[in-house]
Amino acid sequence: MTALAIPSDLQPVEPAYRSALRVRAAIFWVPVFIAALVVDRNFLAETPFASLLPVLAGAIGLSGIMVAPDRIYRRLGYAIDARSLRTVKGWLFHTDTVVPFVRVQHIDVTRGPVDKLFGIASLVVHTAGTHNSVVVLPGLSPERAAEIRDAIRLEIRADAE
Amino acid sequence: MSEAVALGGTQDQLGPPERLHPLYLLTGLGQTLKGAWGIIGGGAYFAATGRWWIAAIMVVGFAILSLVSLFLKWLKLEYRVGSDEIRIDSGFLHRTSRAIPFDRVTDVDLEQGPIQRLLGLAKVKLETGASAGSKEEEGVLHTISLARAEALRGHIRARKGLATAPAAAVEAEAPPIYAMDLRTVLTAGLFNFSLAVIAGLFGATQTIGQPWGIDPFQRTFWLDLLARSEPLQRLIMAHQIVGILAGSILLIALGIGTGLIRTLLREYGFRLDRTQTGFRRRRGLLTLTDVTIPAKRAQAAILANGPIRQHFGWWVLKLQSLAQDGGKGDHVVAPLAHDDEASAILASLDWPAAPAGGRWHPVARAYFTSFIGILAPASILTLIGVPFIGPIAMLWLVGAGLAIFMRWLNWRQTRYALDGGSLFVETGWWRHRRNIVPLRKIQSIDLTESWWTRLFGICTLRLGIAGGSGFSDHHIPALTRAQAEALRAELLI
Repeated sequence: MTALAIPSDLQPVEPAYRSALRVRAAIFWVPVFIAALVVDRNFLAETPFASLLPVLAGAIGLSGIMVAPDRIYRRLGYAIDARSLRTVKGWLFHTDTVVPFVRVQHIDVTRGPVDKLFGIASLVVHTAGTHNSVVVLPGLSPERAAEIRDAIRLEIRADAE
Repeated sequence: MSEAVALGGTQDQLGPPERLHPLYLLTGLGQTLKGAWGIIGGGAYFAATGRWWIAAIMVVGFAILSLVSLFLKWLKLEYRVGSDEIRIDSGFLHRTSRAIPFDRVTDVDLEQGPIQRLLGLAKVKLETGASAGSKEEEGVLHTISLARAEALRGHIRARKGLATAPAAAVEAEAPPIYAMDLRTVLTAGLFNFSLAVIAGLFGATQTIGQPWGIDPFQRTFWLDLLARSEPLQRLIMAHQIVGILAGSILLIALGIGTGLIRTLLREYGFRLDRTQTGFRRRRGLLTLTDVTIPAKRAQAAILANGPIRQHFGWWVLKLQSLAQDGGKGDHVVAPLAHDDEASAILASLDWPAAPAGGRWHPVARAYFTSFIGILAPASILTLIGVPFIGPIAMLWLVGAGLAIFMRWLNWRQTRYALDGGSLFVETGWWRHRRNIVPLRKIQSIDLTESWWTRLFGICTLRLGIAGGSGFSDHHIPALTRAQAEALRAELLI
């Protein structure tokens, strides 16, 4: 298990997923940074902690926008064989999930506004399990997501008959 | 009736509308009182501060309001039994018409509280798949006569093509698959003592007990109590520690007593029958419950015990099912069963209770060493700090040592096996449990590792199983990466 990249038998998701993550991080961190600036100006300027808060928020925010999306993207992968969907994500907290198609209850393909901007979609697979009943695979192209959904749906129907 | 027609549509195949038993006005009161702690507390406050008339107004007003609301509820709740479904129309302002097709009803539970038993009434609960996990009661007829309840159950079973009502009489003659006599119930109660009760009592004696002079951790409490017993008094006078010890013993005795009483109330007359489609469980001293557990809906079996019960070979057997056991998690099918009794119950489901040949695999030693790794830096710091911090540091070290020892015991008890289409996982020492999961019930499989477990080369394999309370977490800790991947490949067959 190399810590740097996903195993070679997995497919990466769309590179545009990085941009979507960046925009999402920016939407979260820019207001936080502005709030930190305001708080600093109004309440902390006279204390020994002056300008500590904006610097911290800025550093974390910048790393969240510039560095993290690339790393998240590099460590996110999926694989599909005839019977199951496998998703692998994360390094600090690494998760490797396998969902057999016959266990899938229903499937969503979701797209938020940011996803639409970059032409990607998320595949959401629901199982009956209590733990991990929702498995999300983000960053697919809409066509690929629909393709996977149809493959799984066929499998569910085959099982029902 | 106009609303019901509008909501309900055709009534041809439905029977005549029926109401709950009029005595619902009496049996429903208990439920209302449960939600009225605020009123009771407020009334007590006003009464205690001398403003009797406010308290009286509150109590009388509340009584009238709840009676009127109960009466309205009774008036507005109608149910009609059809050939394929039951329709329940309820609500005064917000009217609901609920249709439950019998095809979707998996079990019909009857419950009788003490008052209901006296009056020959019963509460009927219709379990459907959708009720799994949700708190809302789906198809509940709060109070109808017992005869009607049994007829309704027979009707639904007959519609589903199952054994009809007379079968209940036949079942009663067939020997149960598992039953408990009073002695077993009491033994089970001994293991049911709750630390929560002890902790609660401890808190109560410390906060509200002191002003009233009932703090069993104080010498004076025992001095007053045993004022006439001269030697004991002298002993307690001499040692505060004796006061603490006696207080602890008293609280533990209370905790055990509470556990005994609770178990006796719940499990008295426990009887489990194997029916055509599943299990039928009857139990209770004051409140009788009669629950069916369909075998098809059982997802996993959980055998649980602790160090003492393990020594005697006793288990609590629970079935994780799509439905909840009255909102309390997994269905207990045997509160205290020997190995062979548990095996017999599981065998009737065609599930093995233990892997054939006993081929258990241990988990990696890193389960234990990674835990030491977490505690070690802090322990070393504390060791250096002993001269500066003093005895508290020693206490911390003893605690860390104990925690490591417990972890080692847990590690000794953690093992897994794969045999005959089922996965067996044993974990824990104090809360020892063996989870049995048929492979075809596995919904998803997760392999997780964090940066810390990666250092030790281990990961956790976690299974998604349908139903359950959320506390029933199915996982195997501390597998090596290769082991975990190989096991996962086998589980997915």
